Amino acid sequence: MTAIELKNVTYVYSPDTPFCKTALDDVSLEIKAGVITGLMGHTGSGKSTMVQLFNGLTRPTSGTVFVGGEDIWAEPKKISRFRFKVGLVFQYPEYQLFEETVRRDIAFGPTNMGLDEAEVSRRVEEAAIFCGISPEMLEKSPFDLSGGQKRRVAIAGIMAMEPEVLVLDEPAAGLDPQGREEILGGIRSYQRQKKNTVIIVSHSMEDMARYSDEIVVMDHAKIFMQGSTAEVFKNAEALSSVGLSVPQVTELCNKLKERGLDIPDGIYTTEAAKSAILALLSGGNK
Amino acid sequence: MIKDITLGQYFPGNTVLHRLDPRMKIILTVAYIVGVFLAKNMISFAAVAASAVLLVIISGISWKTIIKSMKPLIFIVAFTTFFNLFFTTGDVLLISFWRINIYLEGVVYSVMMILRISAMLVGTTILLTYTTSPIMLTDALERLLAPLRKIKLPVHEFSMMMTIALRFIPTLIEETDKIMSAQKARGADFESGSLMRRAKALVPILIPLFISAFRRADELATAMECRCYRGGDGRTRMTKLKYAARDFFAVLVMAAFIASVAALNMIPMGISL
Repeated sequence: MTAIELKNVTYVYSPDTPFCKTALDDVSLEIKAGVITGLMGHTGSGKSTMVQLFNGLTRPTSGTVFVGGEDIWAEPKKISRFRFKVGLVFQYPEYQLFEETVRRDIAFGPTNMGLDEAEVSRRVEEAAIFCGISPEMLEKSPFDLSGGQKRRVAIAGIMAMEPEVLVLDEPAAGLDPQGREEILGGIRSYQRQKKNTVIIVSHSMEDMARYSDEIVVMDHAKIFMQGSTAEVFKNAEALSSVGLSVPQVTELCNKLKERGLDIPDGIYTTEAAKSAILALLSGGNK
Repeated sequence: MIKDITLGQYFPGNTVLHRLDPRMKIILTVAYIVGVFLAKNMISFAAVAASAVLLVIISGISWKTIIKSMKPLIFIVAFTTFFNLFFTTGDVLLISFWRINIYLEGVVYSVMMILRISAMLVGTTILLTYTTSPIMLTDALERLLAPLRKIKLPVHEFSMMMTIALRFIPTLIEETDKIMSAQKARGADFESGSLMRRAKALVPILIPLFISAFRRADELATAMECRCYRGGDGRTRMTKLKYAARDFFAVLVMAAFIASVAALNMIPMGISL
Protein backbone atom coordinates (compact mmCIF):
# COMPACT_ATOMS: atom_id res chain seq x y z
CA MET A 1 0.00 0.00 0.00
CA THR A 2 1.23 3.47 -0.89
CA ALA A 3 0.27 6.39 1.33
CA ILE A 4 1.88 9.19 -0.67
CA GLU A 5 3.26 9.11 -4.17
CA LEU A 6 5.19 11.77 -6.06
CA LYS A 7 5.45 11.43 -9.83
CA ASN A 8 8.13 13.44 -11.68
CA VAL A 9 7.76 16.31 -9.25
CA THR A 10 9.83 19.43 -9.78
CA TYR A 11 9.69 22.48 -7.53
CA VAL A 12 11.41 25.75 -8.38
CA TYR A 13 11.58 28.72 -5.97
CA SER A 14 11.01 32.20 -7.52
CA PRO A 15 11.11 31.04 -11.14
CA ASP A 16 12.25 33.59 -13.78
CA THR A 17 14.07 35.82 -11.27
CA PRO A 18 17.75 36.09 -10.34
CA PHE A 19 16.88 34.22 -7.12
CA CYS A 20 15.54 31.15 -8.98
CA LYS A 21 16.45 27.86 -7.30
CA THR A 22 15.43 24.27 -8.05
CA ALA A 23 14.58 22.60 -4.74
CA LEU A 24 13.21 19.34 -6.18
CA ASP A 25 14.36 18.02 -9.52
CA ASP A 26 12.11 15.44 -11.22
CA VAL A 27 11.51 13.44 -8.05
CA SER A 28 9.47 10.24 -8.08
CA LEU A 29 8.81 8.57 -4.76
CA GLU A 30 6.44 6.16 -3.06
CA ILE A 31 5.94 6.20 0.68
CA LYS A 32 4.59 3.02 2.24
CA ALA A 33 1.44 3.17 4.32
CA GLY A 34 1.35 1.96 7.92
CA VAL A 35 5.03 2.40 8.75
CA ILE A 36 7.38 5.13 9.97
CA THR A 37 9.49 6.55 7.15
CA GLY A 38 12.55 8.63 7.92
CA LEU A 39 13.40 11.37 5.45
CA MET A 40 17.09 12.24 5.63
CA GLY A 41 19.47 14.53 3.83
CA HIS A 42 21.78 17.37 4.70
CA THR A 43 20.68 21.02 4.88
CA GLY A 44 19.29 22.31 1.58
CA SER A 45 18.69 18.91 0.02
CA GLY A 46 14.97 19.63 -0.45
CA LYS A 47 13.42 17.77 2.50
CA SER A 48 11.40 20.63 3.92
CA THR A 49 10.21 21.67 0.46
CA MET A 50 9.05 18.14 -0.20
CA VAL A 51 6.97 17.78 2.97
CA GLN A 52 5.02 20.94 2.12
CA LEU A 53 3.94 19.29 -1.13
CA PHE A 54 2.44 16.33 0.73
CA ASN A 55 -0.51 18.28 2.15
CA GLY A 56 -0.88 20.76 -0.70
CA LEU A 57 0.53 23.82 1.09
CA THR A 58 2.63 24.41 -2.01
CA ARG A 59 1.91 23.31 -5.52
CA PRO A 60 4.66 21.59 -7.50
CA THR A 61 6.01 23.50 -10.51
CA SER A 62 5.42 20.31 -12.49
CA GLY A 63 4.51 16.71 -11.70
CA THR A 64 1.75 15.08 -9.68
CA VAL A 65 1.24 14.39 -5.98
CA PHE A 66 -1.00 11.47 -4.99
CA VAL A 67 -2.36 10.98 -1.47
CA GLY A 68 -4.10 7.64 -1.00
CA GLY A 69 -4.13 7.26 -4.79
CA GLU A 70 -5.88 10.61 -5.40
CA ASP A 71 -4.25 13.43 -7.37
CA ILE A 72 -4.48 16.20 -4.77
CA TRP A 73 -4.40 19.02 -7.34
CA ALA A 74 -7.19 17.52 -9.50
CA GLU A 75 -9.56 20.08 -7.96
CA PRO A 76 -7.51 22.97 -6.53
CA LYS A 77 -10.55 24.42 -4.75
CA LYS A 78 -10.88 21.36 -2.56
CA ILE A 79 -7.22 21.27 -1.57
CA SER A 80 -7.92 22.08 2.07
CA ARG A 81 -9.36 18.62 2.80
CA PHE A 82 -5.90 17.17 2.18
CA ARG A 83 -4.60 19.34 5.01
CA PHE A 84 -6.65 17.14 7.35
CA LYS A 85 -5.63 13.92 5.62
CA VAL A 86 -1.95 14.74 5.82
CA GLY A 87 -1.08 16.44 9.11
CA LEU A 88 2.10 18.49 8.89
CA VAL A 89 4.12 19.53 11.94
CA PHE A 90 6.54 22.29 10.95
CA GLN A 91 10.06 22.82 12.20
CA TYR A 92 10.05 24.52 15.62
CA PRO A 93 6.24 24.23 15.85
CA GLU A 94 6.22 25.75 19.36
CA TYR A 95 6.15 29.22 17.74
CA GLN A 96 2.68 28.66 16.30
CA LEU A 97 0.88 28.36 19.66
CA PHE A 98 -1.60 31.15 20.32
CA GLU A 99 -4.56 30.09 22.48
CA GLU A 100 -5.27 30.86 26.12
CA THR A 101 -4.99 27.27 27.28
CA VAL A 102 -3.16 24.21 26.03
CA ARG A 103 -6.48 22.42 25.64
CA ARG A 104 -7.90 25.08 23.35
CA ASP A 105 -4.72 25.21 21.30
CA ILE A 106 -4.75 21.47 20.66
CA ALA A 107 -8.45 21.74 19.79
CA PHE A 108 -7.80 24.36 17.08
CA GLY A 109 -7.23 21.81 14.29
CA PRO A 110 -10.09 19.42 15.14
CA THR A 111 -12.45 22.41 15.57
CA ASN A 112 -11.53 23.64 12.10
CA MET A 113 -12.53 20.20 10.82
CA GLY A 114 -16.06 20.93 12.00
CA LEU A 115 -16.26 18.10 14.55
CA ASP A 116 -18.70 18.26 17.48
CA GLU A 117 -17.53 19.22 20.95
CA ALA A 118 -17.52 15.73 22.42
CA GLU A 119 -15.42 14.36 19.58
CA VAL A 120 -13.00 17.31 19.78
CA SER A 121 -12.40 16.83 23.49
CA ARG A 122 -12.00 13.05 23.07
CA ARG A 123 -9.32 13.67 20.44
CA VAL A 124 -7.60 16.36 22.50
CA GLU A 125 -7.33 14.08 25.50
CA GLU A 126 -6.07 11.16 23.44
CA ALA A 127 -3.41 13.26 21.68
CA ALA A 128 -2.37 14.71 25.05
CA ILE A 129 -1.68 11.21 26.37
CA PHE A 130 0.49 10.28 23.38
CA CYS A 131 2.49 13.48 23.78
CA GLY A 132 2.90 13.15 27.53
CA ILE A 133 0.76 16.15 28.42
CA SER A 134 -0.77 15.83 31.89
CA PRO A 135 -4.38 16.86 32.59
CA GLU A 136 -3.15 19.83 34.73
CA MET A 137 -1.00 21.03 31.87
CA LEU A 138 -4.05 21.08 29.58
CA GLU A 139 -5.52 23.97 31.58
CA LYS A 140 -2.31 26.03 31.64
CA SER A 141 -1.37 28.79 29.24
CA PRO A 142 0.92 27.44 26.51
CA PHE A 143 3.25 30.38 27.13
CA ASP A 144 4.00 29.21 30.68
CA LEU A 145 5.48 25.92 29.48
CA SER A 146 9.08 24.97 28.79
CA GLY A 147 10.38 24.71 25.21
CA GLY A 148 10.08 20.92 25.09
CA GLN A 149 6.58 20.99 26.54
CA LYS A 150 5.47 23.60 23.99
CA ARG A 151 6.83 21.40 21.23
CA ARG A 152 4.77 18.47 22.49
CA VAL A 153 1.63 20.63 22.65
CA ALA A 154 2.17 21.68 19.03
CA ILE A 155 2.60 18.06 17.92
CA ALA A 156 -0.52 17.06 19.86
CA GLY A 157 -2.37 19.81 17.96
CA ILE A 158 -1.72 18.00 14.69
CA MET A 159 -2.19 14.48 16.11
CA ALA A 160 -5.64 15.48 17.38
CA MET A 161 -6.71 15.97 13.76
CA GLU A 162 -6.13 12.19 13.40
CA PRO A 163 -4.58 12.49 9.95
CA GLU A 164 -4.03 9.39 7.82
CA VAL A 165 -0.46 10.53 7.34
CA LEU A 166 1.44 12.42 10.03
CA VAL A 167 4.46 14.35 8.75
CA LEU A 168 6.95 15.88 11.21
CA ASP A 169 9.74 18.19 10.11
CA GLU A 170 12.67 17.81 12.56
CA PRO A 171 10.41 17.13 15.57
CA ALA A 172 13.37 16.65 17.94
CA ALA A 173 15.62 19.48 16.74
CA GLY A 174 17.32 21.35 19.56
CA LEU A 175 16.09 19.12 22.38
CA ASP A 176 18.13 17.24 24.98
CA PRO A 177 18.29 13.41 24.79
CA GLN A 178 15.42 13.00 27.24
CA GLY A 179 13.24 15.44 25.31
CA ARG A 180 14.04 13.63 22.04
CA GLU A 181 13.15 10.31 23.63
CA GLU A 182 9.82 11.62 24.94
CA ILE A 183 8.78 13.10 21.62
CA LEU A 184 9.96 10.36 19.28
CA GLY A 185 8.83 7.60 21.66
CA GLY A 186 5.40 9.22 21.83
CA ILE A 187 5.21 9.41 18.05
CA ARG A 188 6.14 5.76 17.73
CA SER A 189 3.61 4.51 20.26
CA TYR A 190 0.99 6.63 18.48
CA GLN A 191 1.93 5.06 15.14
CA ARG A 192 1.99 1.49 16.49
CA GLN A 193 -1.42 1.92 18.06
CA LYS A 194 -3.14 3.77 15.20
CA LYS A 195 -1.39 1.82 12.43
CA ASN A 196 -1.27 4.94 10.28
CA THR A 197 1.59 6.40 8.26
CA VAL A 198 4.25 8.61 9.82
CA ILE A 199 7.01 10.51 8.03
CA ILE A 200 9.82 12.02 10.13
CA VAL A 201 12.36 14.44 8.69
CA SER A 202 15.63 14.27 10.61
CA HIS A 203 19.38 14.72 10.55
CA SER A 204 20.03 12.35 13.40
CA MET A 205 21.17 8.90 12.29
CA GLU A 206 20.73 7.54 15.81
CA ASP A 207 17.11 8.69 15.99
CA MET A 208 16.29 7.36 12.53
CA ALA A 209 17.93 4.02 13.31
CA ARG A 210 15.84 3.63 16.43
CA TYR A 211 12.50 4.88 15.25
CA SER A 212 12.03 4.40 11.53
CA ASP A 213 11.10 1.33 9.49
CA GLU A 214 11.89 2.79 6.08
CA ILE A 215 14.40 5.46 5.09
CA VAL A 216 14.54 7.88 2.16
CA VAL A 217 17.82 9.73 1.62
CA MET A 218 17.83 12.95 -0.38
CA ASP A 219 20.73 14.79 -1.95
CA HIS A 220 20.80 17.87 -4.17
CA ALA A 221 17.07 17.98 -4.91
CA LYS A 222 16.94 14.28 -5.83
CA ILE A 223 16.23 10.95 -4.11
CA PHE A 224 19.60 9.39 -3.37
CA MET A 225 18.58 6.14 -1.72
CA GLN A 226 15.46 4.42 -0.45
CA GLY A 227 14.90 1.19 1.45
CA SER A 228 14.40 -0.40 4.82
CA THR A 229 16.46 1.02 7.66
CA ALA A 230 18.81 -1.98 7.63
CA GLU A 231 19.34 -1.75 3.85
CA VAL A 232 20.15 1.94 3.94
CA PHE A 233 22.61 1.74 6.82
CA LYS A 234 24.47 -1.06 5.03
CA ASN A 235 25.76 1.56 2.59
CA ALA A 236 28.00 3.47 4.96
CA GLU A 237 30.31 4.75 2.19
CA ALA A 238 27.51 5.98 -0.06
CA LEU A 239 25.94 7.83 2.87
CA SER A 240 29.17 9.58 3.79
CA SER A 241 29.53 10.70 0.16
CA VAL A 242 26.38 12.86 0.58
CA GLY A 243 27.48 14.29 3.90
CA LEU A 244 25.58 11.84 6.13
CA SER A 245 26.96 9.09 8.29
CA VAL A 246 25.75 5.80 9.72
CA PRO A 247 24.87 5.51 13.44
CA GLN A 248 27.85 5.18 15.79
CA VAL A 249 27.07 1.53 16.64
CA THR A 250 26.97 0.63 12.94
CA GLU A 251 30.34 2.28 12.52
CA LEU A 252 31.67 0.31 15.49
CA CYS A 253 30.39 -2.97 13.99
CA ASN A 254 31.94 -2.11 10.61
CA LYS A 255 35.30 -1.43 12.27
CA LEU A 256 35.10 -4.72 14.18
CA LYS A 257 34.37 -6.52 10.92
CA GLU A 258 37.38 -4.86 9.29
CA ARG A 259 39.48 -6.43 12.03
CA GLY A 260 38.24 -9.85 10.99
CA LEU A 261 35.50 -10.39 13.55
CA ASP A 262 32.39 -12.22 12.42
CA ILE A 263 29.64 -9.64 12.88
CA PRO A 264 26.49 -9.70 10.72
CA ASP A 265 25.58 -6.80 8.37
CA GLY A 266 22.82 -4.29 9.00
CA ILE A 267 23.21 -3.64 12.71
CA TYR A 268 22.01 -0.15 13.56
CA THR A 269 20.72 -0.25 17.13
CA THR A 270 22.66 -0.58 20.33
CA GLU A 271 20.52 -3.57 21.37
CA ALA A 272 21.30 -5.53 18.18
CA ALA A 273 24.99 -4.70 18.46
CA LYS A 274 25.04 -5.83 22.07
CA SER A 275 23.54 -9.23 21.31
CA ALA A 276 25.80 -9.71 18.27
CA ILE A 277 28.92 -8.94 20.29
CA LEU A 278 27.76 -11.12 23.18
CA ALA A 279 27.08 -13.99 20.77
CA LEU A 280 30.55 -13.51 19.33
CA LEU A 281 32.15 -13.52 22.77
CA SER A 282 30.36 -16.65 23.92
CA GLY A 283 31.19 -18.28 20.56
CA GLY A 284 34.85 -17.32 21.06
CA ASN A 285 34.91 -18.93 24.51
CA LYS A 286 33.95 -22.30 23.16
CA MET B 1 3.08 35.42 -2.13
CA ILE B 2 4.17 38.04 0.38
CA LYS B 3 7.78 37.23 -0.46
CA ASP B 4 7.52 38.78 -3.92
CA ILE B 5 7.32 42.36 -2.64
CA THR B 6 10.05 44.33 -4.40
CA LEU B 7 9.61 47.54 -2.41
CA GLY B 8 12.88 48.67 -0.89
CA GLN B 9 14.74 45.75 -2.36
CA TYR B 10 18.48 45.90 -2.94
CA PHE B 11 20.03 44.21 -5.98
CA PRO B 12 23.71 43.54 -5.34
CA GLY B 13 26.02 44.49 -8.20
CA ASN B 14 29.19 46.31 -9.06
CA THR B 15 28.21 49.09 -11.46
CA VAL B 16 29.30 52.72 -11.15
CA LEU B 17 25.97 53.44 -9.47
CA HIS B 18 26.61 50.76 -6.87
CA ARG B 19 30.04 52.19 -6.08
CA LEU B 20 29.00 55.81 -5.70
CA ASP B 21 29.19 57.22 -2.20
CA PRO B 22 25.75 56.73 -0.59
CA ARG B 23 25.79 60.28 0.83
CA MET B 24 26.30 61.62 -2.67
CA LYS B 25 23.53 59.38 -3.95
CA ILE B 26 21.02 60.86 -1.52
CA ILE B 27 21.99 64.40 -2.57
CA LEU B 28 21.94 63.46 -6.26
CA THR B 29 18.50 61.88 -5.91
CA VAL B 30 17.10 65.12 -4.53
CA ALA B 31 18.81 67.02 -7.34
CA TYR B 32 17.43 64.60 -9.92
CA ILE B 33 13.87 65.09 -8.67
CA VAL B 34 14.37 68.86 -8.94
CA GLY B 35 15.63 68.39 -12.52
CA VAL B 36 12.63 66.24 -13.42
CA PHE B 37 10.24 68.85 -12.08
CA LEU B 38 12.01 71.68 -13.94
CA ALA B 39 11.09 70.22 -17.32
CA LYS B 40 8.40 72.30 -19.00
CA ASN B 41 8.24 71.67 -22.74
CA MET B 42 8.39 68.66 -25.04
CA ILE B 43 12.16 68.67 -25.67
CA SER B 44 13.08 68.97 -22.00
CA PHE B 45 10.70 66.10 -21.24
CA ALA B 46 12.47 64.09 -23.92
CA ALA B 47 15.72 64.77 -22.06
CA VAL B 48 14.10 63.59 -18.80
CA ALA B 49 12.90 60.38 -20.46
CA ALA B 50 16.35 59.78 -21.93
CA SER B 51 17.99 60.30 -18.55
CA ALA B 52 15.69 57.74 -16.92
CA VAL B 53 16.42 55.19 -19.66
CA LEU B 54 20.14 55.85 -19.26
CA LEU B 55 19.95 55.31 -15.49
CA VAL B 56 18.28 51.92 -15.96
CA ILE B 57 20.92 50.88 -18.50
CA ILE B 58 23.84 51.94 -16.28
CA SER B 59 22.39 50.21 -13.21
CA GLY B 60 22.21 46.86 -15.04
CA ILE B 61 18.79 46.13 -13.52
CA SER B 62 16.36 44.30 -15.80
CA TRP B 63 13.46 46.18 -17.37
CA LYS B 64 11.12 43.54 -16.02
CA THR B 65 12.01 44.47 -12.44
CA ILE B 66 11.62 48.18 -13.19
CA ILE B 67 8.18 47.68 -14.71
CA LYS B 68 7.15 45.46 -11.80
CA SER B 69 8.22 48.15 -9.34
CA MET B 70 5.96 50.66 -11.08
CA LYS B 71 2.82 48.58 -10.58
CA PRO B 72 1.80 50.23 -7.29
CA LEU B 73 1.76 53.58 -9.10
CA ILE B 74 -0.83 52.52 -11.65
CA PHE B 75 -3.67 54.04 -9.65
CA ILE B 76 -1.99 57.46 -9.29
CA VAL B 77 -1.00 57.47 -12.95
CA ALA B 78 -4.52 56.53 -14.06
CA PHE B 79 -5.98 59.21 -11.79
CA THR B 80 -3.81 62.07 -13.12
CA THR B 81 -4.19 60.88 -16.69
CA PHE B 82 -7.95 60.90 -16.30
CA PHE B 83 -8.02 64.51 -15.09
CA ASN B 84 -5.48 65.78 -17.57
CA LEU B 85 -7.16 64.06 -20.46
CA PHE B 86 -10.74 65.14 -19.82
CA PHE B 87 -10.43 68.45 -18.02
CA THR B 88 -7.74 70.26 -20.01
CA THR B 89 -8.95 72.80 -22.53
CA GLY B 90 -6.86 73.98 -25.44
CA ASP B 91 -6.86 75.01 -29.07
CA VAL B 92 -6.68 71.73 -30.98
CA LEU B 93 -9.80 69.62 -30.51
CA LEU B 94 -9.10 65.95 -31.17
CA ILE B 95 -12.25 64.12 -30.14
CA SER B 96 -15.61 65.54 -29.28
CA PHE B 97 -18.16 63.10 -28.00
CA TRP B 98 -21.37 63.94 -26.08
CA ARG B 99 -20.06 66.41 -23.46
CA ILE B 100 -16.52 65.16 -23.47
CA ASN B 101 -13.90 67.10 -25.37
CA ILE B 102 -10.37 65.79 -25.66
CA TYR B 103 -7.81 68.35 -26.74
CA LEU B 104 -4.31 67.73 -28.03
CA GLU B 105 -3.03 69.68 -25.02
CA GLY B 106 -4.73 67.22 -22.69
CA VAL B 107 -3.02 64.29 -24.35
CA VAL B 108 0.38 66.00 -24.18
CA TYR B 109 -0.10 66.98 -20.53
CA SER B 110 -1.05 63.42 -19.58
CA VAL B 111 2.02 62.02 -21.32
CA MET B 112 4.18 64.61 -19.55
CA MET B 113 2.68 63.75 -16.15
CA ILE B 114 3.22 60.03 -16.71
CA LEU B 115 6.82 60.75 -17.73
CA ARG B 116 7.37 62.93 -14.69
CA ILE B 117 6.00 60.37 -12.22
CA SER B 118 7.83 57.43 -13.75
CA ALA B 119 11.13 59.30 -14.12
CA MET B 120 10.90 60.31 -10.47
CA LEU B 121 10.23 56.74 -9.40
CA VAL B 122 12.94 55.25 -11.61
CA GLY B 123 15.41 57.87 -10.43
CA THR B 124 14.82 57.33 -6.72
CA THR B 125 14.60 53.55 -6.84
CA ILE B 126 17.66 53.11 -9.04
CA LEU B 127 19.83 55.74 -7.39
CA LEU B 128 18.82 54.72 -3.89
CA THR B 129 17.07 51.50 -3.01
CA TYR B 130 18.05 49.19 -5.88
CA THR B 131 21.75 50.00 -5.89
CA THR B 132 22.41 50.87 -2.24
CA SER B 133 22.24 48.37 0.59
CA PRO B 134 19.92 49.47 3.42
CA ILE B 135 22.83 49.58 5.87
CA MET B 136 24.78 51.95 3.62
CA LEU B 137 21.69 54.07 3.16
CA THR B 138 21.00 54.60 6.85
CA ASP B 139 24.71 55.11 7.47
CA ALA B 140 24.78 57.86 4.86
CA LEU B 141 21.61 59.40 6.27
CA GLU B 142 23.17 59.51 9.71
CA ARG B 143 26.23 61.34 8.32
CA LEU B 144 24.15 63.78 6.35
CA LEU B 145 21.95 64.56 9.34
CA ALA B 146 24.89 64.75 11.76
CA PRO B 147 24.77 68.59 11.97
CA LEU B 148 21.29 68.26 13.52
CA ARG B 149 22.94 66.77 16.62
CA LYS B 150 23.86 70.34 17.54
CA ILE B 151 20.18 71.02 18.19
CA LYS B 152 19.96 67.87 20.35
CA LEU B 153 18.29 65.62 17.77
CA PRO B 154 19.13 61.93 18.45
CA VAL B 155 20.43 61.32 14.93
CA HIS B 156 22.37 58.17 15.72
CA GLU B 157 19.48 56.56 17.60
CA PHE B 158 17.13 57.46 14.78
CA SER B 159 19.34 55.85 12.16
CA MET B 160 19.99 52.77 14.32
CA MET B 161 16.23 52.32 14.65
CA MET B 162 15.86 52.61 10.91
CA THR B 163 18.65 50.11 10.30
CA ILE B 164 17.06 47.60 12.66
CA ALA B 165 13.60 48.11 11.18
CA LEU B 166 14.89 47.62 7.64
CA ARG B 167 16.92 44.61 8.70
CA PHE B 168 13.88 42.90 10.20
CA ILE B 169 11.35 43.48 7.43
CA PRO B 170 12.42 40.37 5.45
CA THR B 171 12.70 38.34 8.67
CA LEU B 172 9.19 39.27 9.74
CA ILE B 173 7.80 38.58 6.27
CA GLU B 174 9.38 35.14 6.32
CA GLU B 175 8.07 34.55 9.83
CA THR B 176 4.53 35.58 8.81
CA ASP B 177 4.72 33.21 5.87
CA LYS B 178 5.83 30.37 8.11
CA ILE B 179 3.17 30.95 10.76
CA MET B 180 0.48 31.24 8.07
CA SER B 181 1.57 27.91 6.58
CA ALA B 182 1.62 26.29 10.01
CA GLN B 183 -1.91 27.50 10.81
CA LYS B 184 -3.13 26.51 7.33
CA ALA B 185 -1.78 23.04 8.04
CA ARG B 186 -4.11 23.03 11.06
CA GLY B 187 -7.04 23.90 8.81
CA ALA B 188 -7.13 27.67 9.39
CA ASP B 189 -8.94 29.48 6.60
CA PHE B 190 -7.95 33.08 5.81
CA GLU B 191 -9.69 33.49 2.49
CA SER B 192 -13.38 32.88 3.00
CA GLY B 193 -16.20 33.97 5.29
CA SER B 194 -17.52 37.34 6.42
CA LEU B 195 -15.33 40.30 7.31
CA MET B 196 -15.72 39.54 11.03
CA ARG B 197 -14.70 35.92 10.50
CA ARG B 198 -11.67 36.90 8.48
CA ALA B 199 -10.56 39.39 11.12
CA LYS B 200 -10.90 36.67 13.74
CA ALA B 201 -8.91 34.28 11.55
CA LEU B 202 -5.93 36.64 11.87
CA VAL B 203 -5.62 36.05 15.63
CA PRO B 204 -3.72 32.75 15.21
CA ILE B 205 -1.18 34.62 13.06
CA LEU B 206 -0.86 37.88 14.99
CA ILE B 207 -0.35 36.43 18.46
CA PRO B 208 2.59 34.16 17.53
CA LEU B 209 4.01 36.95 15.34
CA PHE B 210 3.96 39.52 18.16
CA ILE B 211 5.41 37.06 20.63
CA SER B 212 8.27 36.23 18.30
CA ALA B 213 8.88 39.92 17.49
CA PHE B 214 9.24 40.70 21.20
CA ARG B 215 11.45 37.66 21.69
CA ARG B 216 13.66 38.80 18.81
CA ALA B 217 13.85 42.35 20.16
CA ASP B 218 14.90 40.99 23.53
CA GLU B 219 17.56 38.74 22.02
CA LEU B 220 18.86 41.55 19.83
CA ALA B 221 19.11 43.90 22.80
CA THR B 222 21.08 41.30 24.75
CA ALA B 223 23.38 40.64 21.79
CA MET B 224 24.01 44.37 21.37
CA GLU B 225 24.79 44.81 25.05
CA CYS B 226 27.15 41.84 24.93
CA ARG B 227 29.08 43.71 22.28
CA CYS B 228 29.19 46.80 24.49
CA TYR B 229 26.84 48.91 22.40
CA ARG B 230 26.00 52.12 24.22
CA GLY B 231 24.88 54.61 21.61
CA GLY B 232 26.77 56.51 18.97
CA ASP B 233 29.25 58.48 21.12
CA GLY B 234 32.83 57.54 20.40
CA ARG B 235 31.81 54.75 18.08
CA THR B 236 34.21 54.06 15.21
CA ARG B 237 33.28 52.47 11.91
CA MET B 238 34.55 49.53 9.93
CA THR B 239 33.92 51.19 6.57
CA LYS B 240 34.65 54.90 6.43
CA LEU B 241 32.78 56.78 3.75
CA LYS B 242 35.11 58.77 1.51
CA TYR B 243 34.30 60.76 -1.59
CA ALA B 244 36.14 59.54 -4.69
CA ALA B 245 36.74 61.15 -8.09
CA ARG B 246 33.67 59.39 -9.51
CA ASP B 247 31.46 61.10 -6.93
CA PHE B 248 32.53 64.53 -8.14
CA PHE B 249 32.15 63.39 -11.73
CA ALA B 250 28.59 62.29 -10.88
CA VAL B 251 27.90 65.78 -9.50
CA LEU B 252 29.09 67.28 -12.78
CA VAL B 253 26.85 64.94 -14.79
CA MET B 254 23.86 65.82 -12.62
CA ALA B 255 24.62 69.56 -12.92
CA ALA B 256 24.85 69.18 -16.68
CA PHE B 257 21.50 67.38 -16.69
CA ILE B 258 19.74 70.08 -14.69
CA ALA B 259 21.35 72.84 -16.76
CA SER B 260 20.35 71.21 -20.04
CA VAL B 261 16.76 70.73 -18.86
CA ALA B 262 16.65 74.41 -17.90
CA ALA B 263 18.21 75.42 -21.24
CA LEU B 264 15.87 73.22 -23.27
CA ASN B 265 12.95 74.88 -21.48
CA MET B 266 13.96 78.13 -23.17
CA ILE B 267 13.47 76.76 -26.67
CA PRO B 268 9.91 77.63 -27.65
CA MET B 269 8.65 74.43 -29.17
CA GLY B 270 5.32 72.68 -29.14
CA ILE B 271 3.08 72.66 -26.10
CA SER B 272 4.53 73.42 -22.71
CA LEU B 273 3.21 73.21 -19.19
